[in-house]
Amino acid sequence: MIPIETRTERRNFLTSSASACSISMLQFPLARGEGIPPPIGRADHCIFLWLAGGMAQIDTFDPKRVGDPKGRLPGSAYESIPSAVPGVRVTRHLGRTARVMDRLTAVRSVYHDTIDEHAAATNLVHTGRPTTGTLTYPSIGSIVAHRRGAEADGVPPYVLIGFPNVSRGPGFLGPEAGYVYLTEARAAPAGFSRPSDVTVRRQEDRERLLGVFRGSIPDSGPLEEYDRVLDESLRLAGPRFNDIFRLEDEPASLREGYGGEFGQRCLLARRLVESGVRFVEVSHNLGFLNGTGWDTHNEGQLKQHLLIEELDAALSALILDLERRRMLDRTLVVIATEFGRPAHFDANGGRGHQGKAFTLVLAGGGLQHQGAFGITDDFSASVEQDRVSIPDVHATIHAALGIDPSATLQGGPRPVPITDGGRPILPLFG
Amino acid sequence: MLMGQSAIAWRMTVALILPLGLEAEAARSDPSGPGSPDHRVVVEICEFGIPEDREWPDSFPHPDERYQADTFGFFRIPHRYIDTGVRADRSNPFLLRAEAEVIVPPGRHRWLLRARGASRLYVDDELVLTTPFPPPITDGHSPIPTDFLDLGVDFRFAPPGNREAWTTIESEGGPSRVVLETILGGRRGASPLRAEPGETVVAWSQEGSETFLLVSPDPSRSVRYTDQGWASYAEGEEARLRRIEAERRAIAFSDQAAEWEARREHARRWLASTEEIQVPPLPEGYEAANAIDHFLAEAHFAAAGRAITGGSVDFPTEIRPILERRCWSCHRGETVQGGLRLEDGDEAFAGGESGFPAVVPGSPEESELYLRVTSADEVDRMPPGGVALSEDEVRSLGRWIEEGASWSSSRPPRRMGPLAEDLDFLRRVTLDTVGVVPTEGEIRRYLDDPVESRRTFAVDRLLDDPRWADHWVGYWQDVLAENPNILNPTLNNTGPFRWWIYESLLDNTPVDRFVTELIRMGGSLRGGGPAGFGMASENDVPMAEKGIIVGSAFLGVKLTCARCHDAPSHTGTQEDLFRLAAMLAEGPITVPASSSVPKDTLRDLGRAPLIEVTLEPGSIVEPGWSFPQFIPAEAVPAWLPCDASPRDRLAALVTAPENERFAQVVANRLWARLMGGGLVDPVDDWEKGELSHPELLRYLGRQLIRGDYDLKRLTRLIVSSRAYQRAADPVLAEPDQHYSAQILRRLSAEQVVDSLFLAVGKPLRTEEINLDLDGGRPIQSSISLGFPRRAWQFASTSNQRDRPSLTLPRVQAVVDMLQAFGWRAARQHAVTVRDESPNVLQPAILANGTAGVWLTRLSDDHGTTTIALENQPLETLVDRLFLRIYTRRPSPEEREAIVGHLRIGYADRVVPVHPDQMGDRVRMPPRYVSWSNHLTEEADAIQRSREDEARRGDPPTARLDPDWRCRLEDVLWSMINAPEFLFAP
Repeated sequence: MIPIETRTERRNFLTSSASACSISMLQFPLARGEGIPPPIGRADHCIFLWLAGGMAQIDTFDPKRVGDPKGRLPGSAYESIPSAVPGVRVTRHLGRTARVMDRLTAVRSVYHDTIDEHAAATNLVHTGRPTTGTLTYPSIGSIVAHRRGAEADGVPPYVLIGFPNVSRGPGFLGPEAGYVYLTEARAAPAGFSRPSDVTVRRQEDRERLLGVFRGSIPDSGPLEEYDRVLDESLRLAGPRFNDIFRLEDEPASLREGYGGEFGQRCLLARRLVESGVRFVEVSHNLGFLNGTGWDTHNEGQLKQHLLIEELDAALSALILDLERRRMLDRTLVVIATEFGRPAHFDANGGRGHQGKAFTLVLAGGGLQHQGAFGITDDFSASVEQDRVSIPDVHATIHAALGIDPSATLQGGPRPVPITDGGRPILPLFG
Repeated sequence: MLMGQSAIAWRMTVALILPLGLEAEAARSDPSGPGSPDHRVVVEICEFGIPEDREWPDSFPHPDERYQADTFGFFRIPHRYIDTGVRADRSNPFLLRAEAEVIVPPGRHRWLLRARGASRLYVDDELVLTTPFPPPITDGHSPIPTDFLDLGVDFRFAPPGNREAWTTIESEGGPSRVVLETILGGRRGASPLRAEPGETVVAWSQEGSETFLLVSPDPSRSVRYTDQGWASYAEGEEARLRRIEAERRAIAFSDQAAEWEARREHARRWLASTEEIQVPPLPEGYEAANAIDHFLAEAHFAAAGRAITGGSVDFPTEIRPILERRCWSCHRGETVQGGLRLEDGDEAFAGGESGFPAVVPGSPEESELYLRVTSADEVDRMPPGGVALSEDEVRSLGRWIEEGASWSSSRPPRRMGPLAEDLDFLRRVTLDTVGVVPTEGEIRRYLDDPVESRRTFAVDRLLDDPRWADHWVGYWQDVLAENPNILNPTLNNTGPFRWWIYESLLDNTPVDRFVTELIRMGGSLRGGGPAGFGMASENDVPMAEKGIIVGSAFLGVKLTCARCHDAPSHTGTQEDLFRLAAMLAEGPITVPASSSVPKDTLRDLGRAPLIEVTLEPGSIVEPGWSFPQFIPAEAVPAWLPCDASPRDRLAALVTAPENERFAQVVANRLWARLMGGGLVDPVDDWEKGELSHPELLRYLGRQLIRGDYDLKRLTRLIVSSRAYQRAADPVLAEPDQHYSAQILRRLSAEQVVDSLFLAVGKPLRTEEINLDLDGGRPIQSSISLGFPRRAWQFASTSNQRDRPSLTLPRVQAVVDMLQAFGWRAARQHAVTVRDESPNVLQPAILANGTAGVWLTRLSDDHGTTTIALENQPLETLVDRLFLRIYTRRPSPEEREAIVGHLRIGYADRVVPVHPDQMGDRVRMPPRYVSWSNHLTEEADAIQRSREDEARRGDPPTARLDPDWRCRLEDVLWSMINAPEFLFAP
């Protein structure tokens, strides 16, 4: 026990030394928002749907008056329809999502002032920060993996269904907070599914032979440390983890409901979080539906509706599937993209980039959903009400997942606030 | 003599244009110039007077360079070198003119001209074929080519981004003058394109033959222009071009040799004028191979005398690591928080500004250190803001204080261990010098040498091996944050100055010259010169980034925090860094707001301030030397001209012998890499480091200078010591203070990949690291890093667009393996010590990853297939596998287990296969995807099928019985997946 006297003395010392200090003091704020403690939600998982290229908010979740690509009249490309939430309309290609609009919130007032270039904006939306010369920041997935770890043994905390890049990586948090990745829904991540010509029998032979070499490893030291992860990886490559990827175990009707490759990825994401994975990023990178993916310049606009319809099928199926399994309140679904697109059309009927007003979508996760949040002007070109920054979106995701959005991470010798001054969107926390 | 007859519709409106060379013929003074009949193609490069806008020049431009070739087959042009021998850019576009006298047999021959740039082919001054200027590409919507010229069963289809034309010419026979002209590079809008020849070729198929040959003036040189013929030609030609380039670098340097000799002389005088470090005598009972062992033995002997006994907690192994990890970043060195230093007992007993002793021996409850790490109050608890100490750590600290808090070891030092076995030494030293495990041939040669000299001979051979360069590039890429991107720039991208690093290592450039060239940042920005180091894309103050790198790489000074504020625990201020940055920028730098900490983020939370901002945003900082503690700014050596540029001044101050810090930092880097830990650790941050053998370090620094800054000489000194040659203790995680044993060192990621491919004998083959195969994009947004042969040549494949069509699946497979073992695809910042801790991805990628499949699949081109086919007893085969993979012989149990697995079917393993059936791939036109055509469903489908192909791996050989082959594959798998492979013994 520490004697009480000592404690008092020490406390006095701390206060006096602080007040005696003439130089300014730096500490990162614990909470912004005038003394209101940050809300803390109860979700356990996050499925982060990444629409690479820049989803046109005006053609999806923030519809405006219909324009004309050929006549280059600014506006939405499609008519809008009402949704389950009175007063909230979405494009007619989001018909199924419209029916579950009360389980989600389209945050229409997101903005950033990063250059409207894919790599820079992709990095910003993933890390919540502009790049700086001195530190590589972790992605939202890595931060969640770092703070909460995997929910169950035998699965990694963070899985990426898409291509590896730095923006998705762990940055200063180090490899422990990194992802394992797969590029298609039909196989386990690189390293965790056996080559097709390696039968169970052969694998047994292999591990038996491997045992010959492992037998002589000492009880401690570098060989032994490696041998332990070797053990773990042999286990992960076994049936328990690999069975997660057996989408064929799901009822055919459910699989069909999810739709094409992107839907299958969403279904896999559900199976992954169900098995204890904390964060799954699902990339919607299927350029072939319209040529360009969500980066709908020029001709890319012509078949954009096919992309939107694929998103509609997958998103609504995912929400309903999670709900049926009583996982929706515990699973936050995020639709994220690097920027939106302007109301006016380019010379070939497509759209450019727009970061100053666009939409990200939150669904489930135990939030108080309201269909839409924030208001943009008549051309969805600027935010008129309830501006939400990217750090705010990050703070909201953290808060929903029970992570203190005012916490501090350790970036080498430097304390780094978990978000760049972001505040959770309070109305979503009831 | 010639009767030209075109077999295809010929659209040239001008029937006869003289080759550009003719007009200048008369003006040429060199009689042995072009066209000399020594069976060589004379190649001239003309840089000036070439129109930028897709036009031919009106008159013959003056040739700026000349070199010779064997044939009319060009896939790259030898680099130009300037200064002391760094790669330089040529003006863009430039013209290549190749000329030779070729003996043409009588008959009707088909001629083929293929080129990336616009080109013209003359035979005996008659224009016979042309190709157009490259058509502009789109950003993704160009068609995927389907229509390929096909002139025979073994005809090589045009690779991406080349145009071609052919014709039939009837000849009476005899010598003909063949002239090829082509314009390389050009513009897209205002931006230059990469000046690459693609595959610029003149080939012919002589009457009566279907096969095309490269046209050559040397009748004895017959190169088939088929896929296979071209591949082997390109390999030989590449080696020849490298020799030309080495000569060019030597010639470029010869201009400055005198200046460097003056520096050497200066260094020798400095050495003579300063006190020599005395090598201590060897205490009795110790053995030594050289001076290094004397220094270590002396320290060991002294420590043995000092050792105290009694306590159960050992400071160096149990407490020191806690202080190091959790306390010393703020409580050690010149700048500390709260005035408290925890480096030694006296400091800790005295305490800091609070006046409370940090440690009261015998009483944890009175020890501020213990109270603060266990405090329940977050404001009070140490370390601030981070994770609290673990229960184990707290318990150790408590017990250590209770036992009297001794800062020395409670145990006598470990006995000096025995020397490593010969084969262990060979494996270790081979990995440490050339980055791969020894081959079977190298092992046999080593064992054939006399016992007493085989280690020395092996070191001699290895230090003379060009693979030395391959081994060290990866280290400097990390330390210097080399970070090229093959697509549009992202954060802190640099030029690909890997090529300059590589060539410097190949030439064994002395390290002071290497650093001088780096700081000068001369030569090519995107073509591989040190200018590429000067780039940091999307960075608000690129030169501040470079200052941080130079500081940590060569002075052991950490300036990272100083980027935005004065560091809480380092002496270097923000102004120090910006002065250094201004020297690199050669002019004043304004501090941007983005490189500062805004005042409004300051909060008073009851703690002493951690950081200070003394340099307001908007301040202008002039160039200046920030490290007078190493060498005074005015102490510039005499050989530096008084009007030297700030960069030259900086380079001189960093590398001058008077700045002893430099030589010591470099020597310590080498030591740390060879011995598993630095004499000062961390090697890039000496302020926070502890110096374990000061005299040895000074000795090594002076030896580096004495050896003309030659890293190979210093390497020889270290690897010749007993300290280096000791056997590894397999349970040690890091070397003890006296280097009484080596540790098992995890191979670097590059060593893992290179050694695996070499040991099993699988050729490393991937796509070209390039997303703009047809060369249509500006050089700012697309570069090619070529076909990699060693791991350091890889780079991030990320396209940030998530497009399947922009993937390089085979490159990605190797990148996955490299990354799992700690290699960084994007090196946004400098790193000296990678995170190489074991993680589950490492064994997973080896066991089941795509590159793991390639390594274990016994395909026709697999080296293990070859030795398995040889006629030898099974035991011999198994022994050879062990030598190749582990550099040792199997233990009896291992031999029995492996032989037992392979015995069944061994006698009948060989399946007779006709050579024609082997490895013959169906010839297919290349359906390539490049940036220009990637935005289609078809492009996605093509790349997806490539990914599948990569994943499947090469087909297994038909020459081995399938069942037995699988058994051998399983043996191979188990050997490369066992932990042993990953550690240098």
